[in-house]
Amino acid sequence: MGLEKFNPSLATHDLIQDLKWSPELREEFAADEAAVLDRYALRKDERRAIETRNFLALYDIGLHPYLGGQFARLIFGNEAGKGATVAVNKLVESLQGKGSVA
Amino acid sequence: MAEIVFAAGAPHAPGLIGLLEAAPADVKDVVVNTYRNLAEAIAAAKADVLIVFANDHLANSRIRTYPDFLIGMAAEHRGPYEWFKPWIGCEDYTVKGSPDVASALFNGMTKRGIRMFAQNENLKFDDNISVPVLLTNVVGAGIPMVPVLQNCTVPPIPDQRRCYEVGQALGDFIRNDLPADMRVALLGSGGLSHEPGGARYYFIDEEFDRWFLDLVASGDHEKLLNELTLEKMEAAGSGGTAELLAWVVVLGAIGSKPGKSFGYTVHKDFKCGVGGVLWDMDANMPKQRATA
Repeated sequence: MGLEKFNPSLATHDLIQDLKWSPELREEFAADEAAVLDRYALRKDERRAIETRNFLALYDIGLHPYLGGQFARLIFGNEAGKGATVAVNKLVESLQGKGSVA
Repeated sequence: MAEIVFAAGAPHAPGLIGLLEAAPADVKDVVVNTYRNLAEAIAAAKADVLIVFANDHLANSRIRTYPDFLIGMAAEHRGPYEWFKPWIGCEDYTVKGSPDVASALFNGMTKRGIRMFAQNENLKFDDNISVPVLLTNVVGAGIPMVPVLQNCTVPPIPDQRRCYEVGQALGDFIRNDLPADMRVALLGSGGLSHEPGGARYYFIDEEFDRWFLDLVASGDHEKLLNELTLEKMEAAGSGGTAELLAWVVVLGAIGSKPGKSFGYTVHKDFKCGVGGVLWDMDANMPKQRATA
């Protein structure tokens, strides 16, 4: 799975960049995810894929895989050898066919 | 005429710091040996400035306004950026910048038809700059650094021929625009094979990595430009392996020189093949010089 489905216009890219760049937004995302998602122009299928942690679906509609890897860390954990390993394994599980890993 | 006194390529996988302790002894040996050799070579070169090319990894710009090359012009470079700290697991660092060389580089590349962007504020550094800075002891050596973060992953990606042309312009800039007695070090930071964020996240293409290390150490740039295609790098790990384009920029700047590798290793937890190359700046191989 590479860059052939990449859709640079997808709003999820902005969400991920903003989460990376703002600890406050990360806190809000953890406390009230829906309120954060409301502020982004997400397609219906895009929002559904985020809510169900379906990375396979997100990649199918064009999420950039590098940001996909970071989104998994933003959701499941970012610490070397700990949360980040959980994040990688969840992401791979989703992409290799499981779809939702909520 | 300023001189390039050090040129190397090396990986920057975050695990090389955060997961090194837990790695098997033979893996650790290759990592430690590679970066110790590079650190000693940088210190011995007595460089006045280190210019590092590295994958930006979408750390600094939105995907719809993504620069192919972004120069860090700050007087001080601080890293890593906040969100990347637990992931890399490294200490904070501050490296002296070189606003003079950075602005000369920006002007020099613009003059040579290479579109770069440049920023006075501190750039957001992840493993791209943090790992080589810490493992090659740039801070301790006190060498001012100019980081250039490049697009290795957002289509359309400047390919191997374009990056080589950028490198040739860089070499011309160093030789003709910088002060006559200046000693310049160049590092291409990135690779080897890996697929961050992909379905093959744990995939490492050992065959590709060994082929690549041998090729860049051979000095055969014509073969490099014909065979190191984006397609080949994507097949060896989508969205990751193509950051070897940072090495291609350095190779364009130095022209054909033989290089030396300090071993190669594969470790699943690094999620990236590991090996570096130091090029011999005293060698002269004019016959193999490629035309981009």
